[in-house]
Amino acid sequence: MSSKVTERALNLIKSMPRVALNNIKPLPHTAFKKKTDRRGDRKKKGRGDKGQGARGTWDPLGYEGGQNPLIDTSPRERYYAQYAVRRQYPPVTLLELQRLIDLNRVNTSRPVDITSICNTGLFNFDISKNHFGVNLTDEGCDQFVAKINAEVQWTSELVIAAIEKNGGTITTRYYDPSCLAALYDPLAFFKKGQPIPKCKLPPQDALLYYSDPNSRGYLADPEKILEAREKLAQKYGYKLPDLEGDPVKEMLLMRKDPLQIFYGLEPGWIVNLRDKCVLKPKDEDYLKYYHSAH
Amino acid sequence: MQPQIVLTRKGRLFQGFQAFLSSSSKFHHRHQSSDSNEAADFSTNTTDGDEETSLKPVITSRSLQFPVKHTYPRLAWLESMDSLEGKKLGMLDLHPDVFAVYPRIDVLHQNIHWQKMYRHIDYNFEKSRAELRGGGRKPWPQKGMGKARHGSIRSPLWIRGAKAHGPRGPTSYFYMLPRSVRGLGLRIALSCKYAQNDLAVVESLDIPSSDPEFMAEMADVRFWGYSVLFVDDTDVMPDNIAVSVNGNEGFSLMPSYGLNVYSILKHETLVLTVAALEKIERKLLEEMHSTEKEKKFVNTLRPEDFRTRPKEDERMYRKWSQPLYF
Repeated sequence: MSSKVTERALNLIKSMPRVALNNIKPLPHTAFKKKTDRRGDRKKKGRGDKGQGARGTWDPLGYEGGQNPLIDTSPRERYYAQYAVRRQYPPVTLLELQRLIDLNRVNTSRPVDITSICNTGLFNFDISKNHFGVNLTDEGCDQFVAKINAEVQWTSELVIAAIEKNGGTITTRYYDPSCLAALYDPLAFFKKGQPIPKCKLPPQDALLYYSDPNSRGYLADPEKILEAREKLAQKYGYKLPDLEGDPVKEMLLMRKDPLQIFYGLEPGWIVNLRDKCVLKPKDEDYLKYYHSAH
Repeated sequence: MQPQIVLTRKGRLFQGFQAFLSSSSKFHHRHQSSDSNEAADFSTNTTDGDEETSLKPVITSRSLQFPVKHTYPRLAWLESMDSLEGKKLGMLDLHPDVFAVYPRIDVLHQNIHWQKMYRHIDYNFEKSRAELRGGGRKPWPQKGMGKARHGSIRSPLWIRGAKAHGPRGPTSYFYMLPRSVRGLGLRIALSCKYAQNDLAVVESLDIPSSDPEFMAEMADVRFWGYSVLFVDDTDVMPDNIAVSVNGNEGFSLMPSYGLNVYSILKHETLVLTVAALEKIERKLLEEMHSTEKEKKFVNTLRPEDFRTRPKEDERMYRKWSQPLYF
């Protein structure tokens, strides 16, 4: 145990001379390296006489003098061919989410979306690595007891059931990369002074998922989502809590417009942190642009 | 002379109580006052650093932020500064993550090295063979002289010639130690001071006399040593302490924001006020538990560092190759 070692060390220094400027030493091998002897680095630079070694004209690695090299004897398996193009959704488990809520890192009185998760500082989402948002996984679905309004980018049926069983709601929502840049670090985005971008529609291969009421997609019909909630409750055998008489009903039903990326802020607005105000466009063309999906 | 209490640690039972006993024995051999030998009153107060209500020292419990279970909070006497010997006003809990961390001497070294080097500028400058006066002409013909061939009298081979790779101008050794390492360094320094009996917590820095000799005698009586570092919450200090510290070499007065590893280790004893202790503990624990991503400092210059004018916004004035149709 670390505390045993710490206690022994602290007891040890009790009987030793006072820790002062004259007896502080660095760890061995952390000081600067000595300058190497460069006497042998002249003329031939240790490369010997003539040939490929001196002239740097080696054959490519694996070259077998013209014979078919080993790497070409078997066909290629393109496992990672499309990796740079495919979208990735780094996972966050329900157990981790519950822990964040228990430790007050995430405020459940407000909707929990990708920005809330990024603001904890415990997760690193990178657009350059094709991270298109968070994937809420089902590990810890039995321990999950929080009632939240969750908005994620990918999830499974069991997670939806776990959240709705506790009286919460979940939506799956697509964000394009320029919007993600603003969502992952809102403070850095607002400091740029750029207008809030409008969110584009999902690509064709994702459109089906986000229009499906079974995955609680944001483009799905709300009435079909209500039906799907009841069907899921029957499937997993829990009683669906009634949202009508819920004190936090308003919060649970907060949804963003398909073009909107921040709650309470519309696309086209500029948040001025310096003067603590929000600038809104008045021009018709701007308003038309920011309020249409095209 | 009162008999000294010798205590041996027999095991890990009753750690908290043993810690209290062992810490009381530490302080006992210094003080000859009668108070320390009396049984302490175990009544707990929620307010910390309270004035004495009875003659017996009262254990005051300080509520600790970010409590830990794997180790016990350390205890320190709360002393008063109103007399030479002072009274023990109570006992305070010290957070183990600040006052009982593993004493990593190499981290202390890193901090001290950083403190020395980040503000260091080397002003040495040696002219190159191009900058030295003269040396433009070939001193003598290539051949026929029977002398070695040379092109310039300021070449590095020549006496009074240039240095080939000498120091070139003001060189800065600025670098930033990561915030976590700097915080850890402070915690280790405080832990070493506590472990080696060089930490004192006082109620406030209000002393009765501004005579430097009074202060010197106080330090002598309390076995505080040759050099003492007084740390308070604010940078506005009472008159008496300011004058007496000024008159004593080796004594220093510092606000809590000036606390640094070098000063802690330079002075033999560290004296903290309760307010300073609270502030320091809170800041160090907050740093330890913060999830803010610290921007890594890279010690190289980029083109942006040489720009004097702000970059103009040319987005609206971009030229289009073809006319736009709406």
